[in-house]
Amino acid sequence: MDIAITGLRRSFGRVTALRGVDLTVQGGMFGLLGGNGAGKTTLMRIMAGVIAPGKGQVRIGGYDMTTRSGRRNVQRRLGYVPQELGLYPDLSPREFLDYVALLKGLDDTTARRRQVGELLDMVGLADVAGRRMKGFSGGMRRRVGIAQALLGDPALLIVDEPTAGLDPQERIRFRTLLAGLAGQRTVLLSTHIVEDVAQTCHDTAVLAAGQVIYTGSVTDLTRTAEGATWQMSSAGAPPTDGVVVSAVTREAGTQYRVISPARPSRDATSVPPTLEDGYVALMQRHTVSH
Amino acid sequence: MTGVREMLAVCRYEFWMQIRKRSLWITIALLAGSLAAGRFGMGPRYAPAPPGAPAQEVMTRWAFLFSVILPIAFGMALADRLLRDRRLHTAELLASLPPGPAGRLTGTFLGSVTATGAPALAAMLVAAGYETVRRGDPAMIPWGLAAFAAVLAPALVFVAGYALVCPLVLTTPLFRVLFVGYWFWGNLLLPATLPTPTGSLLSPIGSYAASWLLGTPVLHAGIPGPLPVLRPVPTGSAAAASISLLVVAGLLPLLTAGLLRSRRRTA
Amino acid sequence: MHSSDVEMWRHEAGRLGWAAGCGPALALVVAAAVAALTAGDGAGRPQVSLVLITGLEALLPLAVAMAATSVVATDRARELHLSLPTRYATVLGRRLGVLAGATSAAAVAFTGVLWAAGLWSGPPVVASPLLWAPAMAWLGGLAVFIALLTRSLLLATTAAGGVWLAQQLFASGFAAHDWARPLYLFPVSRLGAYPGWMTDRLVLTATIAPFAAGVLILLRRPERMLTEEEA
Repeated sequence: MDIAITGLRRSFGRVTALRGVDLTVQGGMFGLLGGNGAGKTTLMRIMAGVIAPGKGQVRIGGYDMTTRSGRRNVQRRLGYVPQELGLYPDLSPREFLDYVALLKGLDDTTARRRQVGELLDMVGLADVAGRRMKGFSGGMRRRVGIAQALLGDPALLIVDEPTAGLDPQERIRFRTLLAGLAGQRTVLLSTHIVEDVAQTCHDTAVLAAGQVIYTGSVTDLTRTAEGATWQMSSAGAPPTDGVVVSAVTREAGTQYRVISPARPSRDATSVPPTLEDGYVALMQRHTVSH
Repeated sequence: MTGVREMLAVCRYEFWMQIRKRSLWITIALLAGSLAAGRFGMGPRYAPAPPGAPAQEVMTRWAFLFSVILPIAFGMALADRLLRDRRLHTAELLASLPPGPAGRLTGTFLGSVTATGAPALAAMLVAAGYETVRRGDPAMIPWGLAAFAAVLAPALVFVAGYALVCPLVLTTPLFRVLFVGYWFWGNLLLPATLPTPTGSLLSPIGSYAASWLLGTPVLHAGIPGPLPVLRPVPTGSAAAASISLLVVAGLLPLLTAGLLRSRRRTA
Repeated sequence: MHSSDVEMWRHEAGRLGWAAGCGPALALVVAAAVAALTAGDGAGRPQVSLVLITGLEALLPLAVAMAATSVVATDRARELHLSLPTRYATVLGRRLGVLAGATSAAAVAFTGVLWAAGLWSGPPVVASPLLWAPAMAWLGGLAVFIALLTRSLLLATTAAGGVWLAQQLFASGFAAHDWARPLYLFPVSRLGAYPGWMTDRLVLTATIAPFAAGVLILLRRPERMLTEEEA
């Protein structure tokens, strides 16, 4: 299901969350990166039909999201995992999924129950399917979130900050699960955790202050920091040139990884960049130019 | 002293959170405005025309006019305060901090109750300002404050104690129903119709304080009914007794809740 | 009705919850308790009957109004609901429908018990829903409308409670004017079931239309409910 957004603007009172977003997503796994307050959640909510778009064009699968009927049509083919996933603690995962399935229009009882069972198996919650969600861990709650989103076999999956607060094992499980889902559908992954995008997405966009400042492949974003990623050691104060991405304290001093257009110190060595380095380099250039 | 300082910190922030609620101000303004605009028995419209009536009488009439319905808003505003911590997932964080449950409860009570009373106080001051201009008597403002303190403030304390604690046991929707029903039954329904505390020292509408300030019984103060010992003639000492009883009665549920919470923490 | 419809209604009854769903029934229990206390105090049958009728006519609508505001005001999974193809107005409508149904069942059962015990002093039993249904719908409609309009539980519950109390206090004011009488919520317990009160109940029911229209208009933009005051 392809997504085409042109000139999207959205304000809430005096706060402008989106300032003319242009974005095209053809399919597969697509990452949306950006810091806190960049506008990612607002964009996700507009695409999920939770809030109406402001000005601009938003078309998903050919449907116009500025119309009510367009939004309904998309929602029938959509799975959404909100950032703040509210679950009913008095329900079990099976009951909750059954409820959401009914709201998605899955009226055939047999087919619905089969799908619920399969999804609980897929996300590894079959053993606790009948247990109330009140005592569920964060990871288990997220898995319920993914399972409900997959009800009805949606063509578009929108996942907002799915791995925030998860332990490393859960995070890897989630990434693997999401990557496996992208084969037959469009998966839009919104996150500020760069590693999630690096491990699962081919293409990505970066949002900053309500605008898209980069669209392209993950590889090209990584290359943004080529020749600008440095490793150096310092026994004293951290380097003042560039952005320090990591600092590891050892016996001899602190080893820094720095993003800087120029060599930050004489002993700094150029190293191959990661996606995180590319993201930082992009944000650095964006900040300087504004 | 650390405990007191912590409690005051809780009080300060509870005050700010509650006083910033726009809906609290709008609700009180709408209620007070409706009461002021209507023709209601024994209200300020029944005071002698300007410049006639003394400030004591005029502002007392305003106070008991407001006391008929404004406490409904007090109760609704405070009903889910303690449940909010559970809903917003702040309860766990707060429980991990040094101030114990008693200090937090005291701070919450003081802060939220003071803030809840602020719009009502503002309404009294607006009324006092209006009467000052209308009657040319600057004593309206100090008497407005006195009438608020004697009639409305005890009602607020009484309502607050039960509004904060009862929803923890009864659930909030049921509390709201019983509270409104109680307000009518316990303050305005005559004992001749049903056994009721209306007109007794425990009637939180402030009938004894208002009667003493006006020099004549109002709001059924002292009328015959159940528990005659709580129905003395409305005098100054009776008014003082009523105010004290209402404050103590309002603090009782908080004391109980505080004790239970402390025991749960150390269990 | 399909089995999936039944299951959907069962789910929505679960979302309504015990607190809101049983509130109105518990209000009737309170009325019965007060009536028992009154009887124990030596009051006669007419007095006891009046207390019970008051429970149906006055306390029940108040309980429904408070429960209805909590239905509309709080939902943990609201954002998820807004992303689903079933309109949120439909979801809320079902929950309020369950509330109305449960309340009606409790009211009918209460009426039956009173009638069988010889304590019924209201209208003919067949017409007894006129005693509680119009006021329940009116006060509930007002509360829901204000809750959706202002997104404030405080304003909605205070409005419902304030209107209820004002109507209790100023019965004579309503009785004095022909135009005001149909808007009075307690014609039997407070105005002695004056001639024509049943027709006035139908007029009261008609005045619910603006609230209903307002609610439907507000629910065309359910995203407003994402930012309720306490969130």
